[in-house]
Amino acid sequence: MSSQFKQLEKLGNGTYATVYKGLNKTTGVYVALKEVKLDSEEGTPSTAIREISLMKELKHENIVRLYDVIHTENKLTLVFEYMDNDLKKYMDSLTVGNSPQGLELHLVKYFQWQLLEGLAFCHANKILNRDLKPQNLLINKKGQLKLGDFGLARAFGIPVNTFSSEVVTLWYRAPDVLMGSRTYTTSIDIWSCGCILAEMITGKPLFPGTNDEEQLKLIFEMMGMPTEATWPGVSQLPKYAASSASFQQQHPNAALQGPKDLKELLQVNCKEKLDDVVINLLHGLLQLNPDMRLSAKQALHHTWFAEYYQRPTN
Amino acid sequence: MSEQYYKALNSLMRSNVTEDMITFLCGCTNQVIKTVTTSETKYPSPPNSPDNEKFSNDNLPSLSRFIKKLVRYTNVYTPTLLTTAVYLRRLKAVLPRDATGVPSTTHRIFLACLILSAKNHNDSSPLNKHWTKYTDGLFTLEDVNLMERQLLQLLNWNMVVQQEELIDTMQSLIKPIISKSRQNNMISNVYKMPRNESYSSNMSSSSTLVGSQADLRRLKEPIMEEPQLSSSTRTGWNLEQVMSRYGF
Repeated sequence: MSSQFKQLEKLGNGTYATVYKGLNKTTGVYVALKEVKLDSEEGTPSTAIREISLMKELKHENIVRLYDVIHTENKLTLVFEYMDNDLKKYMDSLTVGNSPQGLELHLVKYFQWQLLEGLAFCHANKILNRDLKPQNLLINKKGQLKLGDFGLARAFGIPVNTFSSEVVTLWYRAPDVLMGSRTYTTSIDIWSCGCILAEMITGKPLFPGTNDEEQLKLIFEMMGMPTEATWPGVSQLPKYAASSASFQQQHPNAALQGPKDLKELLQVNCKEKLDDVVINLLHGLLQLNPDMRLSAKQALHHTWFAEYYQRPTN
Repeated sequence: MSEQYYKALNSLMRSNVTEDMITFLCGCTNQVIKTVTTSETKYPSPPNSPDNEKFSNDNLPSLSRFIKKLVRYTNVYTPTLLTTAVYLRRLKAVLPRDATGVPSTTHRIFLACLILSAKNHNDSSPLNKHWTKYTDGLFTLEDVNLMERQLLQLLNWNMVVQQEELIDTMQSLIKPIISKSRQNNMISNVYKMPRNESYSSNMSSSSTLVGSQADLRRLKEPIMEEPQLSSSTRTGWNLEQVMSRYGF
């Protein structure tokens, strides 16, 4: 470790690294030091190679800034902008007794807006994040929110890449990816944004599955079972037949297979009154058919955010 | 840049690895740095070998043989292989013009570029211990780790590649596809049939380049790593079926 930084307390464990708070001794500014221990058999991990090469290019106020990289034989240290907290820990801290609490709706809106701003910038730069979840959204005392982990991120749009369907933490993984799609694109991140929006409202994860099958089941129970009519091409996905069969088996009554009322379901766990506008946005983000999901840019223009984009400019 | 270049790039990336590609990559690698010793003459009279050269020139396979072996061992995707050309060009740009290396330097440079391309462009790729094995004892794991780290530093972790840069770097492979595609426009109706049936619309008629040369990966038993890949991701194979079906 370069002597430029003083290592302070541990902040947490990322996907492939340990993160410490650090102090830049020359400037007195706090930083986050992400330490990757290098395994000689692997060499430099591909996650680190991608995270560094992508984040070097992503300079946006809703994306955590990578300042520097220190690469030695045994250790790789990424020096990031310091953030006070992450959204997961923040929501956990609001729990009363055993019951999770949603955030106040005006804060939900501000966070969701910033999440979409950061994501729109990634997508405009042809980068998929592929691991959006509350743990990876860093926040500070000013109420700023920044995308903070690009360990699974990938460039897209050039005929060079191969993709795996083993991406995104289970609870935030899109149904097309769960059914084995490898041709996903920016819509993969939008689904995660929808899950995160619902979770900020209620304080509870929207689809807390324990395995791929259960994850799909939870999604279909709430959003309805997709068919060729609602999602052309869905039956071609590798795991569609199996998941459809098991769903029909568990829910033989066709009348109960349709989508549920999201507003009703979320209202149970939300103190403020939910309006149709936010539910409409949620539906736009949580479309089963990836082609029907809103883009990040479209979502930013949704009526729910009118107070931001219609802000008077004196 | 005109549409036909992007189409030709797609077509190139979907084709199998060819001799022409290997020759092209050897050229790119040899341009990066001058090597000193007489290894490239046919009958070398061994001079004072540099101390850090661990093996005699006799043990060092030609760069072309070395690359072919890596291709066969790893069954590497064409795009992963060809993207090394972009990294090689970036490396040439940052090295001093009078930089020199020992004969195995070109092998190291190419291998490091290929490793970084594989790690950057695929969700799963071989570990460095596997890459070490693929060199057939030419390099140790320490060598491989060191060359990877040095290349990352020289390229300043700049691993993102844009289409325009790919096209620009691969002019010599892309231009023949474009001119062939022009010639084929006259018989393009033949191709429209299978294309409209079930094959990817990205496939351009210029893909006739595929199969016109020996497929290096085929020299080994084909490895069906991902049998579930849809036709759009592995058009190379389907295309050959189409072509044989239509008697090309």
